Amino acid sequence: MTALVLKSVVLITGLMLAVSYLILLERKVAAWIQDRRGPNRVGIPLTRVRLFGLGQPIADGLKFIFKEEYTPSHVDRAMFLVAPVVILTTALATFAVIPFGSVVPVGGKPEPLVVAPGVNVGILYVFALSSVAVYGVILGGWASNNKYSFLGAMRSSAQLIAYEIPLGLGILGLVLFTGTLRLDTTIELQARSGVWLLLVQPMGFLVFAVAACAEAARLPFDLLECEQELVGGYHTEYAGMKMALFAMAEFLHMLTASVLIVVLYLGGWHFWGLTGSGNLISWPQALLRVAVFWAKVMLVVLAFMVIRWSWPRFRFDQLMNLAWKVMVPLGLVNLVATATVAQFWPQGWRQHPWAVAGIMWAVSLATVALWALVSPVGSQAQQRRGPDEFSMRRVEATS
Amino acid sequence: MTTWLVVGSLVLGAGALWLLLPRGRRAGRSLGTLLGTIALGLLLAALEPLGPGWATALFYLLAAMTLVSAVCTISFRNPVYCAVWFGLTLLGTAGLLFFQGAQFLGTATVIIYAGAILVTLLFVLMLANPRGQASYDRRAWEAPLAATVGAALLGVFLTGIFSAWQVAPQPQSLDEKSYALAPLGAELFSKHLIAVELAGTLLLAALAGAVAVVAQHAPRNAPLASSTQPTHSARSSTPEAQVR
Repeated sequence: MTALVLKSVVLITGLMLAVSYLILLERKVAAWIQDRRGPNRVGIPLTRVRLFGLGQPIADGLKFIFKEEYTPSHVDRAMFLVAPVVILTTALATFAVIPFGSVVPVGGKPEPLVVAPGVNVGILYVFALSSVAVYGVILGGWASNNKYSFLGAMRSSAQLIAYEIPLGLGILGLVLFTGTLRLDTTIELQARSGVWLLLVQPMGFLVFAVAACAEAARLPFDLLECEQELVGGYHTEYAGMKMALFAMAEFLHMLTASVLIVVLYLGGWHFWGLTGSGNLISWPQALLRVAVFWAKVMLVVLAFMVIRWSWPRFRFDQLMNLAWKVMVPLGLVNLVATATVAQFWPQGWRQHPWAVAGIMWAVSLATVALWALVSPVGSQAQQRRGPDEFSMRRVEATS
Repeated sequence: MTTWLVVGSLVLGAGALWLLLPRGRRAGRSLGTLLGTIALGLLLAALEPLGPGWATALFYLLAAMTLVSAVCTISFRNPVYCAVWFGLTLLGTAGLLFFQGAQFLGTATVIIYAGAILVTLLFVLMLANPRGQASYDRRAWEAPLAATVGAALLGVFLTGIFSAWQVAPQPQSLDEKSYALAPLGAELFSKHLIAVELAGTLLLAALAGAVAVVAQHAPRNAPLASSTQPTHSARSSTPEAQVR
């Protein structure tokens, strides 16, 4: 019981701190990509020490807390209040089953670094909560009683629901290979064999990573907040701490996606020749595993940020085409290929990860090559555009 | 003793439900809430404690949440609120399933019902503008009958459950193995294979039907791929006629 409370406290405190500093990191990365300096003024108050702007998140947090809690008169009050709570609660509750390290030796006994270690369906639990998070977006947009907010909520929830399918399809092959839905067991399997599942499931990784990016609603997919089209997004009418809850939930979703990618495909806390693979470890080794894990997560987060500031936003039909015409077929091919290998392998295919990886890479490359041959990328766009409307009008006017 | 508690809670519950259902006037709603609370208390008092103190408390909390939100689902006027209360009912049910160790069923309930079906329902409700509906559409039909039938149905279920409880009073302890997914999957795909396949075929038929309904509105000679932009494809399919 004590361990449970302690782990929850450490995890939630760590997550809240991490989220506030991720916002700073995001702004710094944006500044770096756009050739600016970014926030660099706020340091220790009442002195001239600037500390590279490390005080900025604290200043932002204080500002959010002390800002007026303004509720517009035209909103549906109850739902307006419930929406940010729903979205943040589900984002936080996701981390109950996510391991944030390996184990720590407490009294000679390994204590797993998961808040809820007994959950057998970890991956499904994460999916279930991420599907509940959609309610926060829909209710926020609807309760705002504002056409633009509502439009944003509608299309973003359509996006979130559509991308849940490739998200699930992407990991099905992986689950077939590992034979478990537990997140900690998945890491242990990778640590024992030394083969990260990215090598075994390249196409599954591609599908899962894209879908996770869409579920986290990061920039190429951030149709829920789109300043140019929707004034703000589903949270236009929010201010103060409620707005802060939405912002925190957004970064928590990104963190969840990154952690899942690391746990499922990048070996979790395992690194070759550094962390070992057993469960009986000393404190320094346990801390090293935690460090390796979060270093990997930070790398994935950085990749997410760089992607965000390098890509323009998808149009809605492009978004849906990507989900239904690219990601779902790729996921299906991956699943069928993995199932075929599982069925026709003579015995014990899980003991030969390198051979399976070779087959899966061959299948992936063949699929992409075949796809490129059958329907080249340019053909669809040319076909749709045709002789466009404006040039036709000009022809009409001149004739 | 238990029997009288259950019967009393059922009678009170039926009365509360009748008062709470949207009947077109507001009178009696507070009395209904009071009666409903008493009925819920009686029903929970009729149950035997399930284990250590915190486990019992958690069970009562989840059960009360599920029941209260279920009553709210049918007694609120605004359909969007009803849908959200229904979502809470589903979460409570999933929590109870988790409490019993049925982790897969719990998560599947949330993913399928709360995550897919109810969200689609919410879409429709929100797009259909619930505030604009006529009053006769927002009223409960046959409220007394519905309350009585609901209470009777609950009584039948409770009788069955209590008699089964008396046969096997000790709940069997679940070992690590019975939490596993593999037996459930094996059972589904061996014993109930035909049912699973039939359900899958039914869903596929529904999917094909939805596609057919959408495709009806697309222009006949346009390629299906560009059906997202019907006006453009309709024009670009006969460019010569346009130019002339």
